[in-house]
Amino acid sequence: MTVTVEPEEFRFVAFDNALIRKVGESLVTTLGIDRPVHVIVDESTPLGRIRAEIADTVTVTVESGSFEDSKRPRQQSEIATTINLGRILLRVSDRLHGGFADAPPDDDLSLAQMAAWETYCAGRLSRLELRINRQRWLYNFRNRHGFSDAADAAFDQLWAADSLTWPQLRSISSSASADLAAAS
Amino acid sequence: MRKFFPVEELARDSRFTQINMRQAEADPRTAMVGPNAAKRAKVNRLTPARPDASEAARNLMHGIFVGEIQALEGAGRTCHDFELPDPKNGGATDTVPFALKLDMARQAWDESRHVEISVKLGDWMGSEIGQFAENTVLFEAACSTDPVMRLAGVNRALEGLAIDVFTTMKEFGEIAGDPYLEFCEDWMLADEVTHVKMGSDWLRKVTENDPERRAKALEFQSIVDRLFSFGGARSESEDSPIGLARRFRELAGFTTDEVDDIADVSLAALEARKAFSAAAMAEKP
Repeated sequence: MTVTVEPEEFRFVAFDNALIRKVGESLVTTLGIDRPVHVIVDESTPLGRIRAEIADTVTVTVESGSFEDSKRPRQQSEIATTINLGRILLRVSDRLHGGFADAPPDDDLSLAQMAAWETYCAGRLSRLELRINRQRWLYNFRNRHGFSDAADAAFDQLWAADSLTWPQLRSISSSASADLAAAS
Repeated sequence: MRKFFPVEELARDSRFTQINMRQAEADPRTAMVGPNAAKRAKVNRLTPARPDASEAARNLMHGIFVGEIQALEGAGRTCHDFELPDPKNGGATDTVPFALKLDMARQAWDESRHVEISVKLGDWMGSEIGQFAENTVLFEAACSTDPVMRLAGVNRALEGLAIDVFTTMKEFGEIAGDPYLEFCEDWMLADEVTHVKMGSDWLRKVTENDPERRAKALEFQSIVDRLFSFGGARSESEDSPIGLARRFRELAGFTTDEVDDIADVSLAALEARKAFSAAAMAEKP
């Protein structure tokens, strides 16, 4: 499947259109995405939000912080590009053929549900031999589900999983959040 | 041992990458203006409600960590760089009282503890040492050859910023329910209030009979405050990730007028940043 990237040339960051395309093509093949992917990089902001719309083409909109080398501002990191594009394309893959057809649109997910889904994605990416900092995702999960043993157990379950469905993921997240609500 | 160490020669291992303020200022990107700014959250203040809260908090925590290293280096330098007053030349501006050196030594001890705490908090949050670029602006404020300028630039402006940052992070930890973050930030905040108070007291004492020198020092502090507000990172506006901690600043010896001035300087820096970014984006490729 083809991957296209815009803009062709960047003004505010030193990113490489061809590198993003190459990383995207590799991920699309690995994850079995069955349609073209178009990546739009918003280089006007250093934030790192990333989102996808699924139609005949998958359109991924990325804020430049997602592909940036955190050590060298405005320079691209191939590792960050791979991990962050991989995260969103895994979510796309889940929605297309991974038991997540019933999941609400990204904008309607709660912060806890998003953290749970991100954990599920990051765990799978770590098994693709990408360098993923598990503690980073555990901290993110705890911020949304509480700093408790129950939240950590839910995190472990999500991190180790390979074939969850949306109802299962929602259930794990809400049970961890319920403990948080009961504690507060 | 060498005196007056230049910022370019700070000792760091290969994990660290340093940038200066000029490089940071050259980045035209911002979340506040631009074609997609309206789609983003209206509030940039660092709270757990932000979708990117964990990442932003980790980034800020790393900024605190390198700031603590530079504060340690700055306080240590002030102990060593200046001689004790010569009774025959009591009016020299390149000497400091022994008690001031003792306070700087105490501050260096505090900062080294803060570095260790910050490393552990970074581990806890999933960061690695050197993962983010280190802006050396903090140490640059500690390079003046006049100790009074250092008190103004480091103890009042830099440590004043630390009060704002620690207050924001403490509140973040409190709301998120992170017991370690809240506890550690609270203890470090208490130290920072003391450091600012030492700066305020010594600035007043050392310039007691030299109003011109005091005015110059306060002017330098204002310049440093403006630098530290660059990008709108710290102000009373909700556009800024870090708020201005008025109450703790008062405890540290700032007058209400002084805090008002810092608030004005910070807001002006925020607006200048927006204007710079808007102009850059309006330019044709």
